[in-house]
Amino acid sequence: MDEDYSSGSVDADREMTRLWRTWRTVFEMLQDRGYEVTEEEVQITLEEFRQKYSDPLGYPDRNKMKIQARPTEAMNLKYTALKTNSNPDPQPDCGTIYVEFCPDSTGVGTKQVRAFNHVVDENNFHTGVFITQTPISPSAVRLLSGVPGRICEHFQEQDLLVNITRHELVPKHVLLSPEEKSRLLQRYRLKESQLPRIQVSDPVARYLGLRRGQVVKIIRRSETAGRYASYRWVI
Amino acid sequence: MSASRSHLKTSLPSAHAASTQAPSSMRRAPPKSNTSRQQKGPPANMPNADPRHLAIALHHAHRIQAQKDTESLILDRILELVTFPSSPSADPASPSPEDAQAFKSALIPFQPADYDNLIQERNIEGLCGYGLCPREHRKDDSRGSYRITWGAKGSGPGGRGRDMNIVPREKLEMWCSDECAERALYIRVQLAEEPVWERRADDARGKNLLLLEEGRATTRGGKGKASSSATVREVTGQLDNLHMSKTPGSSNLAGDMSKLSVHDSAHSHELALERGDANPALRAGRVDVQIQEKDNLAYKHVTAPEMRPGDDKGGSIEGYVPQEF
Repeated sequence: MDEDYSSGSVDADREMTRLWRTWRTVFEMLQDRGYEVTEEEVQITLEEFRQKYSDPLGYPDRNKMKIQARPTEAMNLKYTALKTNSNPDPQPDCGTIYVEFCPDSTGVGTKQVRAFNHVVDENNFHTGVFITQTPISPSAVRLLSGVPGRICEHFQEQDLLVNITRHELVPKHVLLSPEEKSRLLQRYRLKESQLPRIQVSDPVARYLGLRRGQVVKIIRRSETAGRYASYRWVI
Repeated sequence: MSASRSHLKTSLPSAHAASTQAPSSMRRAPPKSNTSRQQKGPPANMPNADPRHLAIALHHAHRIQAQKDTESLILDRILELVTFPSSPSADPASPSPEDAQAFKSALIPFQPADYDNLIQERNIEGLCGYGLCPREHRKDDSRGSYRITWGAKGSGPGGRGRDMNIVPREKLEMWCSDECAERALYIRVQLAEEPVWERRADDARGKNLLLLEEGRATTRGGKGKASSSATVREVTGQLDNLHMSKTPGSSNLAGDMSKLSVHDSAHSHELALERGDANPALRAGRVDVQIQEKDNLAYKHVTAPEMRPGDDKGGSIEGYVPQEF
């Protein structure tokens, strides 16, 4: 009896720690994308996390783990299209983001995704991030990406255990605003289709939530030049 | 020179602007360089754009849209079929006719991969993978990723012993029973491999699906295999038609042939509809093909080739006679 309890608590402890790391990566991701998150939220310790989000048995309670964040001013600027004659006052194409952890440990299908889509739609969130423990079925993926007018992304918990952008081999990716993009294209006399490309499904592109048509600046260290910037067009 | 320089100066930024979704400068651009830009090929919104090109571009856009529509239709069908047999007490061996009909008609646009998705979705819901079965799928709590299944007595090699199979656990857990597995896979092999937007209108594959029970009933009827019997019947029917048209006489046949001609506008319209080329610009095909028959070809009677001297050794190849070794 005693052993059972202790092995259970070891299990719970491991799961809690893993989820804590995922949780921190999610907040780092929100911060890197430009959402309003506080430093305490990003730097939450395991102890605090355990107090807040564990159930009586010590296992994490994913139903409680929901995040909402609003974009910062800087992010709003980055996502505002250029002024045009037909659209003299463009609105930023970003808004409140909503992150939900799926409590089901096996078999996430269309049912859960439909519920998630409903929540996103009902509360009028601009972006939704759905985080599951297992891969979701192909039709669920299709359902998730098919919400008109909203952006729904999916991650697996284990994809976010480690923040990939903090790895030393991953260069810094910076999203360009429409204005910076048009200046870049003018400067080099390019069409955007002449830039090198990066896929939307690229891990860093997924991390930053890049959208088709945006341009990202990639800054690498170079032995000869110090720093070397290249630009990629998201397709 | 100066005129062309100024043209270069103005046209380059406008070209960039056109690519960077800034319609303000694009709208200003055409009047400026209206005359000098014409040799570069007009953009789509210019009045002198080739309507044929426009039509082709539109045609392809419609096709892509149709493809997307079909994908969402298949997704809807999957969602519909996830909770399928309408009553929880339905028997998968003898489904109600309405259910069977609805199931079969819903499966027509499916590819085997879509069908696999449906099975997966049903399993996630806890149901047997076969769409007409309301029972829960098997659950095996014991560990280990493989299972050993034993066949019936006398099914082993040489008619002795039992047949043994090692099966991945998830394959077994898809279904409620082996019968349902057989039923579901019987449907799966009948689905057409190619996506629905590439299928021809007259393609019978994947359209008249048979449930396992129906298939067995027809095989017992003594017609051979269910799927082949349908096609054989069709072919014999066509042969009969051919004979019918031949009997009245050859002059009539020529008339029929001319009726069949593809150049006939009404017929080519029908053909285009059947192929899914609804666009009027493409009715005649994308290229103008004009077939001119050579009329002096049938002037002599044709003789069969016959042996000439030396042909037994291979003959000559364009005048060259191979040496013997």
